[in-house]
Amino acid sequence: MNAADMIPSRRALRVWLRHLVQYRSFYVAEWAGNFGEHALYLLAFGYGLGRLVPSLNGISYAQFIGPGLVVSIAMWTSTFESTYGAYNRMRIQKTYEAMMSAPLSLGDIVFGDLLWCGTRAIVGATLMMIVLGLFGLIGSPWALAVMPIIFLVGLMFGSLGLVSAGIAPSFSFFSFHFSLVVMPMFFFAETFFPLKGLPEGLRLFSQMLPLTHAVKIVRGLIIYGRVDDFLFHLFVLAGCTLGFMVCATVSVSRRMTS
Amino acid sequence: MVAELDIDARGLSKSFGDLKAVDGIDLRVERGECYGLLGPNGAGKTTVIRMLHGAARRDGGELSVLGSDVTTHSRRIREEMGIVPQENTLDNELTVYANMWVFANYFGIPRRRSLKRIEELLDFVQLTEKWSEQIKNLSGGMKRRLLIARALIHRPRLLILDEPTTGLDPQARHLVWQRLRELKSGGLTILLTTHYMEEASQLCDRVGVMARGRLLVEGPPADLVRERVGEEVIEIRGAGREAAVAALNGLGLDIERAGDTLYLYCRSGAEVVERLVSAGEREFLRRPASLEDLFLRLTGRELRE
Repeated sequence: MNAADMIPSRRALRVWLRHLVQYRSFYVAEWAGNFGEHALYLLAFGYGLGRLVPSLNGISYAQFIGPGLVVSIAMWTSTFESTYGAYNRMRIQKTYEAMMSAPLSLGDIVFGDLLWCGTRAIVGATLMMIVLGLFGLIGSPWALAVMPIIFLVGLMFGSLGLVSAGIAPSFSFFSFHFSLVVMPMFFFAETFFPLKGLPEGLRLFSQMLPLTHAVKIVRGLIIYGRVDDFLFHLFVLAGCTLGFMVCATVSVSRRMTS
Repeated sequence: MVAELDIDARGLSKSFGDLKAVDGIDLRVERGECYGLLGPNGAGKTTVIRMLHGAARRDGGELSVLGSDVTTHSRRIREEMGIVPQENTLDNELTVYANMWVFANYFGIPRRRSLKRIEELLDFVQLTEKWSEQIKNLSGGMKRRLLIARALIHRPRLLILDEPTTGLDPQARHLVWQRLRELKSGGLTILLTTHYMEEASQLCDRVGVMARGRLLVEGPPADLVRERVGEEVIEIRGAGREAAVAALNGLGLDIERAGDTLYLYCRSGAEVVERLVSAGEREFLRRPASLEDLFLRLTGRELRE
């Protein structure tokens, strides 16, 4: 496998299309389930737990965590797709092998998977946004502009997941991925509580998590329609995503070629 | 006139750590030829196939497929090459038909244009009635036939099959053989690996026997058997047959002992049988020499696990 094979081409869309075709068979059940689940989350945390929380800079707790949930759903969906899903394609169903016997390169396959992770992230986040809308928690029409950010989150966690899928000796390996990568971001990326007032160490840790920057952008857009330090957050997010994409390609190529 | 080579490997090598999986083999397959790669498990057959489509990188040697170097033109080669893998790589959650058009899409064939081709191919492998079936509901033989149909979706010039009939029942195996013969007469170049000597004899113009990463012999199956083994084999089973062997002294036979069986390889069995009968030996089997004899003589009788 030479270096040129690692660079994706527009043929990645053929891989994406395969994932879409496969998705067609189960999306209705999934959407219905997700929709209910998202509403439950919002009710339990936003309104149940939220009663104990005083207003945060003039917004309710439900308003605060809404955008956090949108971003974390994008993270969860793309992580499942790129860990369990990709491992299944790589090792169990041998879908990657079939693609490599067709004129698709490793770069096409990896990028096709990542495009699909981004797509799934957008679908999941959209369902959550609809729930937020129904509860009247969207404060600005700029909320629609979160989708490119959500797509980036999908690419980023898709890449991280593929890194793990490439080195995982079995499915159980992914519990490391979830406890070391996903859970810390889920809790400390300013999803459930503001950073202000946290101990300095924890605050720093939180700011180093790439997801924090996505949450800041998405929260700003959904509630206020503007984002402080937008370019800085976007730069961190895009930079991390690009770096992780390179790692993902290397990891998968080490698994698939000899 | 020199025939065009669809596969041209010279000194092809590949190691995994200390293991030399493929150890400097020369392999030439002409256009329109059917070539069979034989060898026990671990001989390096699958590694050769993986190198042919660029899934494994060679350590040494030259390898050109369909006129292009595999290192630099792997994608272009795969556009004209069909691969039937040893393991099922079908999309288990899709239907037969969806598997076909998704694969056509990998080649950039638009769905509308692939429809007719899919119909043709499903008919060719007798799976038309199963077109809307999920893969998990297919038998092993059906899956293998679908893999063959899938590998032909883009009308390749070269078809590579890794153990195409392993695990199939005789009916399914004969159907696959018949289809492969039809493809061959249509001008397709075929390279296959197999454990079944009958398969190789039936299908292949030439075979090569591999063991431990090396190509031991190569040639048309019938010629190889005649030259290397002889015309006939006589098997004598049971212990303590020294008297029988003594009766054969002076015939210059090639005798091999394996377990409780003696194998006598000869040009013609007539005189051997005469001597055995006059020595009072009644229980033996006289049969034509086969590719399996050649294979076992070359690669040994011990198990490869």
